[in-house]
Amino acid sequence: MWKEKYKIGVQIIDEQHEELFRRVTDFIKTVQGQGEWETRLDKVKETLEFMKEYVVTHFNAEEALQRKVNFPEHEEHKQIHERFKEEVGQYAARFEEEGYSEELVQEFAGKLMAWLINHVAATDQKIGEYVESLEETGNES
Amino acid sequence: MKAEYINPFYKATEDVFKTMLDLETERGDLDIVEDMIAGNEANVIIGMTGQLYGTILYSFSRDMTLEMVRIMSGMEMEKLDSFVTSALGEVANIISGNAVTYLANENVSCDIVPPQVIVGENKSISMATEKALRIPLKTDIGEFEINVSIREKE
Repeated sequence: MWKEKYKIGVQIIDEQHEELFRRVTDFIKTVQGQGEWETRLDKVKETLEFMKEYVVTHFNAEEALQRKVNFPEHEEHKQIHERFKEEVGQYAARFEEEGYSEELVQEFAGKLMAWLINHVAATDQKIGEYVESLEETGNES
Repeated sequence: MKAEYINPFYKATEDVFKTMLDLETERGDLDIVEDMIAGNEANVIIGMTGQLYGTILYSFSRDMTLEMVRIMSGMEMEKLDSFVTSALGEVANIISGNAVTYLANENVSCDIVPPQVIVGENKSISMATEKALRIPLKTDIGEFEINVSIREKE
């Protein structure tokens, strides 16, 4: 799932993105895998737990970087993160209420994958471009 | 409905296909359809509210949908299951969201409602709307279409 073109040129963010993509790939493989759903469910829940924490860690790191370099769109970017966390929270609530059915987990995985690709391939690239423009003008502080 | 409202949707589609799928899109001739019909197996409907309101329908073949999700996930997909249709719905959601941003840059304020995915051919999804503009699009992995039926709030 990871592609080199997704890099933004800031090492810590790129490393976190790669890790996130690795985990989401594992998650999709499990969700779309063969065998009884019940036997795959433990792995699904484990990955979900990891991602819930890791996404927050990563968003925090990305937002801290944006503040540090005075990224002009940092407030908008933070809002995008907040909306995504809300949506993940809504799915988490549905899992609790309706149970972790294969169909609902698949729905979540599909949305997560497409959201993540677009966010990293389009939205996050703007941070990379901005950091690069700072380095070019020698204003990095 | 003004044809100029079509451009933000086309531009957003072109950008999102390039960024997310590494695909170029080629636009065919616009035509007017009397009724919005889901002409392919995988269809995403997105409602629009605000200064412009109405419905956008994205319609893809089964094979193209599976290939789009294969490009994104790097995994072979075999059927239009919830994973595949949800990923497709999100792509259409992202396109529509970007189109709304382009409209906002033109001082047209709109919002979208979450996507609804319909699997199955030839279902009329007309909601007593007026005629729709159909944009046929071509890519290396197949053809698809966007139907736009929106009007200005009076």
